[in-house]
Amino acid sequence: MSEFKSGFFVGGDACNGRILVVDDEPDIRKVVKMTLQKAGYDVLEAENGEKAIETINSGENRLLLDVMVCDIRMPKVNGIEAIAYFRQNYPRVPLIVLTGFPDTDMATSLLRQGVVDYLVKPVEGEKLKAAVARAMEQRELAPL
Amino acid sequence: MNSSAPRLFEQDQAGRAGARSSPASPEKDSVNYMTTTHPTDVTPTKIAILGAGRGGTALLDLLHQIPAIEIIGITDCNPGAPGLKRARELRVPVVPQVTELIQNHGVQLILDVTGDPALGAILRSHARPEADVLSGSASRILWELVQHESTLQAELLHAEKLAGIGSFAAGIAHDINNPLQLILGLAENLEDETDLETIHAQAADIIAAVKRTTAICRDLTSYARRSAAHNHSLVPLSARLDEALKIARYAVGFHDIDIVKRYAPDAAASGNPDELLHVFVNLITNAIQAMDGGGTLTLRTAIEPDTVIVQVSDTGCGIPPDLFNAIFEPFFTTKPPGKGTGLGLYNIKHVIHQMHGTIAVTSEVGIGSIFTITLPRTVQT
Repeated sequence: MSEFKSGFFVGGDACNGRILVVDDEPDIRKVVKMTLQKAGYDVLEAENGEKAIETINSGENRLLLDVMVCDIRMPKVNGIEAIAYFRQNYPRVPLIVLTGFPDTDMATSLLRQGVVDYLVKPVEGEKLKAAVARAMEQRELAPL
Repeated sequence: MNSSAPRLFEQDQAGRAGARSSPASPEKDSVNYMTTTHPTDVTPTKIAILGAGRGGTALLDLLHQIPAIEIIGITDCNPGAPGLKRARELRVPVVPQVTELIQNHGVQLILDVTGDPALGAILRSHARPEADVLSGSASRILWELVQHESTLQAELLHAEKLAGIGSFAAGIAHDINNPLQLILGLAENLEDETDLETIHAQAADIIAAVKRTTAICRDLTSYARRSAAHNHSLVPLSARLDEALKIARYAVGFHDIDIVKRYAPDAAASGNPDELLHVFVNLITNAIQAMDGGGTLTLRTAIEPDTVIVQVSDTGCGIPPDLFNAIFEPFFTTKPPGKGTGLGLYNIKHVIHQMHGTIAVTSEVGIGSIFTITLPRTVQT
């Protein structure tokens, strides 16, 4: 378990927040994690919606998770189902969609559900970091 | 499998709907399903074909698929004529003597495609007066229509394939954009990466990702191309099924699908490899679409004494018995408008009949479906 806390400095690394990256492709998780870690975020991974729900419900994550970056096409619980779950149970956590397939109808519907950004792969590191930074500003603190 | 027996429906080589027990069906308790969609109570027109060259063969191929026609025999003065071999495969009687065939009591129409003027006199003197005779330019026009029909069938097959590729967009985008994300992320990192080992590893990852992406274009361009009409060869069926699996992944999500392969490694059939790939892609896509929310896809090939079998089974929603006939009809679809052409199974049936095979379906609503293709076994030399 990570020792990082939002907004704290630990061992010289700035920890700007805790991000959960949900994608079925290990390559994508690896490269998104790399980009966000370099920007000072603590990054957790989940390979599908089911694992993402497990992760957010475990230990301190239910309190400390700041932002989620979520794919749509995934096995088990897919992105749409996972997003519905998170919006219902963790409305304070901002969601960013990162998908390989641009679909205007789906983007509209997801943004209406409260998703803060809809990014289409391949997305540049700067854009991803900017989206995460915006999402961080929108997050609400966990209720005590 | 539950206690109620799945039903078996088969379209035989003549396209006539009929029921028969299939050795390919894994369920011993299969109940034969009788269907009456085709007007089997109408007496078919009895036709004799004179000439078994290209014209005779083309006519034979087309006419034997029409339920309202019965070919009572074919003849040619050349015992090695290609149409005679085809007739034996189709179990159409080969009659050695012209006079014997044209004097057959039942014959209603004689099609003379020999182009041999000497035959005119024989027909005039020996043919039964109640039989109509089509010869000369009239039979030539008929042959041209048959060839035109065969061109249209090929066009239809290609059009349906291209329409299907439209549904690949999401899969292609997924398979191209994911490696691109990896490439972009790694390249951005390399801009300021100083650790030599990391640089080497990430450069290798980029090269591998580019290779994966080019494979997509290679697979799809080879699939989308127009299949050469007479490009027949011995097709290894199990390898073709594996290739079809790769293509079908673009059309449908394989998430939560277990794939079971039960292959007879040497199963092979003589046919057009492009068309067979198209058939398999279609069957696999249908099977996955029937299993919304997951299930098991089983691909099986088997060698029997006279035939080879290809089976595509799913544990999906199944097909109601009253639709067993309709699913092979053109433009039949259960998909929403714009999602399916309704030509998939119709084209599959056509391709398989061209290969002198049969396609059968066993299905139970809520349990799943099994599509069984039976092809003549080609003896390898």
